[in-house]
Amino acid sequence: MKKINAKNVNVSYGSKQALFDINIDIEQNEVTALIGPSGCGKSTFLRCLNRMNDVIDICKVTGEIFINDFNILDKKCDVVRLREKIGMVFQKPNPFPKTIYENIAYGPTIHGMTQSKEEMDEVVELSLKKAALWNEVKDRLHEVGTGLSGGQQQRLCIARAISVSPEVILMDEPCSALDPIATAQIEELIDELKNEHTIIIVTHSMAQAARVSQNTGFFHLGNLIEFGSTDKIFKNPENQKTQDYITGRFG
Amino acid sequence: MNSNSPHTVKSYEEELKNLNNNIVKMGVLCEEALRKSIITLVTNNSEQAHEIINNDQEIDKYENLIEQQVVNLIALRQPLAIDLRETVTALKISSDLERIGDLAKNIAKRSLLISGNLSKNLVGILNALSENVQKQLKSVIDSYLERSSSIALNVWESDEKIDDLTNQCMQETINFLKEDQNNLKNGTHLLFVAKNLERMGDHTTNVAEQVYFLVKGEYLEGDRPKHSEIGK
Repeated sequence: MKKINAKNVNVSYGSKQALFDINIDIEQNEVTALIGPSGCGKSTFLRCLNRMNDVIDICKVTGEIFINDFNILDKKCDVVRLREKIGMVFQKPNPFPKTIYENIAYGPTIHGMTQSKEEMDEVVELSLKKAALWNEVKDRLHEVGTGLSGGQQQRLCIARAISVSPEVILMDEPCSALDPIATAQIEELIDELKNEHTIIIVTHSMAQAARVSQNTGFFHLGNLIEFGSTDKIFKNPENQKTQDYITGRFG
Repeated sequence: MNSNSPHTVKSYEEELKNLNNNIVKMGVLCEEALRKSIITLVTNNSEQAHEIINNDQEIDKYENLIEQQVVNLIALRQPLAIDLRETVTALKISSDLERIGDLAKNIAKRSLLISGNLSKNLVGILNALSENVQKQLKSVIDSYLERSSSIALNVWESDEKIDDLTNQCMQETINFLKEDQNNLKNGTHLLFVAKNLERMGDHTTNVAEQVYFLVKGEYLEGDRPKHSEIGK
């Protein structure tokens, strides 16, 4: 089932156009990987999906992006509510300089999702369990989140993102600062999380895109060059540019 | 889709080229073994038979080398798309070529056991069959070299000629066996020689399927065209 449907999305930063007529369908409960060289527009597109580009004054986004058949680029869209539904995890783990517990509790608190301490405790525990971090931190919930290892911090950020039960999780190179073990843990997590969430991941690692995603989109110079099932893209892409990029022939 | 631009990493480009060259060299050795094995058979040249038997080691060495290269490429380069298909098909092609080499060696060994002159008819049909297999093998190596799916498809579709000729050859050998009880030894070996040539044709079509997949990224589907069956 289609979860996100982007139609003719154009983005420019001032006079520089960053995305050209992007049309893409993202399937629900699947992982979609966006790949392409630096500056190709993949992160710009990702940031359109939770209106992150709104904070950049010179950024102009046109077109339509339907999530659950609602155009999120519409002026009527409540961006705070949108970001409750669309969580995000960034390249560098960025826990708040607060306790592990407070990191998770922050989202549910500002969105008024819990009524009591017990309910909040439950949300925190469940989120940490879903992020495969509970066993490692259950005895130190009131220590600062920034004291955790890099991989643990990133899983804390994922736990924080899922604490408000988002429908979609956006990940912008979530493993680029992690070692292979922590990367494998995040990849395993992505595989688990897709059962309840729709995941879109931007990655520079071809191998990671191939390992975690069901669909892959290749961006180049602001255009979506090819979009298709991950096995097709990595075994037999249709576009020469896609092939040149994934086989390391660019340049 | 052509892949003309070279890899950014030159050593990777070299490794793939090297793999490609080894497949071609192995293919040429197999062509030579096949060609010589039939000449050996009809001329009773035992010296050449031993040469073919010994040279088979060279073909086996190529198979091992290609296997090592493929394992290294997978482990160290994680090839994708066309590179992945290059790597995987090289492994499969080398295995079919190795079998072709073995079958040629087997013909050479049998040539040492065949005594006396063979009838003109038999030699004629054996030559026709082996020439056809040689032609197919040469074409399939060309299709690999030129990355031509149309040549590969043509090889795949032409295998039935070999099947027809094999049946004719077997029939001729059976007639030869019927003629005289003393023909039993030679005739039995010749039946195996015909079967070996037919198997070489099959391995050649396997290679054609791999070349087609390499170029197109799709598998050749369905059964090969076949209208004749053994015994008919």
